Amino acid sequence: MSQSLRPYLQCVRSSLTAALSLSNFASQTSERHNVPEIEAASSPEVLLNPLTVSRNENEKVLIEPSINSVRVSIKIKQADEIENILGYDISFLITNFHTEEMLKHKLVDFIIQFMEEVDKEISEMKLFLNARARFVAESFLTPFD
Amino acid sequence: MLLLDYQNVLIQSLLTERFSGAPPVSIDQVVSDFDGVTFHLSTPEHKTQILISISVKCYSELVQYGAQEVLEREYGPYIVAPEIGYDFSVLIDLENLPGDQESRGDLVRRVSLLKRNAMAAPFERAFDEFVRMQEEASKFTRESAPEGVREGGEVMAIHYREEEAIYIKASHDRVTVIFSTIFREETDRIFGKVFLQEFVDARRRAIQNAPQVLFRNEPPLELQNVRGLANSSTGEVGYVTFVLFPRHLTPQRRQESISHIQTFRDYFHYHIKASKAYIHSRMRRRTADFLQVLNRARPENEEKERKTASGRTFRVQG
Repeated sequence: MSQSLRPYLQCVRSSLTAALSLSNFASQTSERHNVPEIEAASSPEVLLNPLTVSRNENEKVLIEPSINSVRVSIKIKQADEIENILGYDISFLITNFHTEEMLKHKLVDFIIQFMEEVDKEISEMKLFLNARARFVAESFLTPFD
Repeated sequence: MLLLDYQNVLIQSLLTERFSGAPPVSIDQVVSDFDGVTFHLSTPEHKTQILISISVKCYSELVQYGAQEVLEREYGPYIVAPEIGYDFSVLIDLENLPGDQESRGDLVRRVSLLKRNAMAAPFERAFDEFVRMQEEASKFTRESAPEGVREGGEVMAIHYREEEAIYIKASHDRVTVIFSTIFREETDRIFGKVFLQEFVDARRRAIQNAPQVLFRNEPPLELQNVRGLANSSTGEVGYVTFVLFPRHLTPQRRQESISHIQTFRDYFHYHIKASKAYIHSRMRRRTADFLQVLNRARPENEEKERKTASGRTFRVQG
């Protein structure tokens, strides 16, 4: 893991752990509904301050907490055209039902592992694509040689 | 299976089987090939007479560039009047095959190269033109050469697909083959660019004697007088130029060069698709891995049997 990645992930890990203190919260606007407040945004008092953790301008994480749900949006590095088509920006919605059902620290582990591996995966795919293109081009041109 | 075959494998295997002395059967098969080419193999009258017809989108253009002569050279005695709906037909009589195994094999090979031979005409013409111009040019120095010699020959256009074409132009020191390519989708465009960049670089890096490859989105200079070129302002259209040098045009190598360059587009697209398929399967595999990590977050609720101190168990009454 590179030098700058470690503190970045550590920071996301602590912020996320802190944000994931969720409780069940029924909708205040419609009866018998229970919706993720971060998505519904029906009243301001149940939303908390969103927080951005940035590694650099291309890679950052936006954590938007609310009383019963957290939305984690990850901006994946897209430095060039190839990375652009291989990687998407992605959001995870975690509600109180998830935290009740699953172990909180493992949920955080999942997000962190995802961030760690998705970059690796994209650069591997990019390398593969370039290597294949090179091999294909050389194979086509060799019979002319 | 990296490079594509030049011949049509289905025709090849079918004819090989028929020629092997198996009892004659009636055949009626439509075979598709690349670039919208269709073959029809049938036994219209007798089971022993196989009619092979080909339909090519740009046949009228090919005839203009001398396809008839090339096909006559290759298939001479077998040519019959074209079947209705097709452009060119050959008829093979199983009772009248060449005697020895070798020439039978040669016939199978030639028939299965029908598409290649039909498309070869403009290339052959350009190669001949090159030889003529080379002789012509050798009489002059570089500066004193008359306009016609320096400029090179006419651009021959083959509109072999709906929106794509091959342009061939001979000069006194080279033959230029230009493929116009079209990518409707952004993703394909980027994949195409990555692959083409490697084609462009390959010569510089490893294979010094390969044809020079150039890629650009605007029509190259050779095509400045050609009308009806697709508008390329959106970056969808690209032009891939192959510059074949005299070493590729020698009589010993020209047939191989023609066969090989014809497969460029199919080869190129085939590998783009294969890469996409690989990347998709890789993404799916990775997603499965991620889901596994997520599942680890679920505590295992083991159903342990609980017992009282005396060893009795409770059972929930269903």
